[in-house]
Amino acid sequence: MKELEMIEIWKSYDKKLEENLILNRKNTEDITRIKVQSFISSMKPIKIFTIVIGLLWVVFVDTLIINLFSVASPFFLISAGIQVLLTKLAIGIYLYQMILIQQVDISAPIVSTQEKIARLKSSTIWVTRLLFLQLPVWTTYYWNESMLENGNIWLYALQIIITASFTYLAIWLFFNIRYENKDKKWFRLIFNGREWNPVITSMELLNQIREYKDETRSENSSR
Amino acid sequence: MSLKRDAQTFLTVIEANKGIIYKIANSYCRNAEHRKDLIQEIILQLWLSFHHYDEKFKLTTWMYRIALNVSISFYRKENSRDQISQPLSDGILHLYEAENTSELDAEVDRLHRFIKELKEMDRAIMLLYLEENSQQEIAEILGLTVTNIATKISRIKLQLKQKFSNVKT
Repeated sequence: MKELEMIEIWKSYDKKLEENLILNRKNTEDITRIKVQSFISSMKPIKIFTIVIGLLWVVFVDTLIINLFSVASPFFLISAGIQVLLTKLAIGIYLYQMILIQQVDISAPIVSTQEKIARLKSSTIWVTRLLFLQLPVWTTYYWNESMLENGNIWLYALQIIITASFTYLAIWLFFNIRYENKDKKWFRLIFNGREWNPVITSMELLNQIREYKDETRSENSSR
Repeated sequence: MSLKRDAQTFLTVIEANKGIIYKIANSYCRNAEHRKDLIQEIILQLWLSFHHYDEKFKLTTWMYRIALNVSISFYRKENSRDQISQPLSDGILHLYEAENTSELDAEVDRLHRFIKELKEMDRAIMLLYLEENSQQEIAEILGLTVTNIATKISRIKLQLKQKFSNVKT
């Protein structure tokens, strides 16, 4: 197959399209009357909604911590503190996504636009990692001094096993939920479902863009 | 002379460049039903962006950028398409297939299949190359350097030639 042959084949396809491709003008005209948001802006409402709910939760837990500071168990205060800190980080990711949404210009060059869109989508995985990191505090917030004073060895052992396993699992997932593991069984089990497909695809696309950028950089530096 | 930004001018622009939209949508979407949605989405985004079209770029550069950006990111909407867009009952572009298929048609199909097997970004470069855009134009559409584009084109062409020769042997 010569280079020209490929272009000739494409031209024959072009010719066929020219002869047989018909534009439905009425439907195209209808499109110019549709009132919708631009490409990426349609993602904004759900992000804003999540940020608002997140902020309400943060205000609620922070108020609890402040008001109960002198009376609550230190386990509750520390657990709630960690949980609310992780929630704040997750809100930060949503704010970052909002900035990316604002920056995406669909008529801008492909590489930069796709990088923003892929970053936007794949950053959702960070929220999941943070959510998993919260796991251990849900096993500690209810501890109190009376439990420690009146409990028995079995209760302590059970509690320690539960908290230790949740901590191990949370840290392990935090470090292992990444693109390189996307084909592992456990990964597919967690991210099973159509709603996760775009996230995985965007991670793959981000990898392609990184390769492109690396190649450009190495070409520039070798010049 | 500057371009009028009304619906009639837009229709003329789309009519004149409908092939670009069809070819890109066809290269990124295998499923015929989804392709209809993708074509509608591309035309919708072209319309929404039409008023901001910067005339310092060629009209086709603007069209290629939007059509490719929408097509490459179409995966994003797989689950939410129905909620966001308002699908029209009929498609916008209809291709009337000729009944008798020639040897050339088989070659076209093969080329299509090989292009669809390329990674998304490589596919964009190859489509622009086959459309006989200059390396400078491809670089502008992609946002890469001309040297970078030249290297990539020769690498992708080699890949395609290899695929063709594998079929023939």
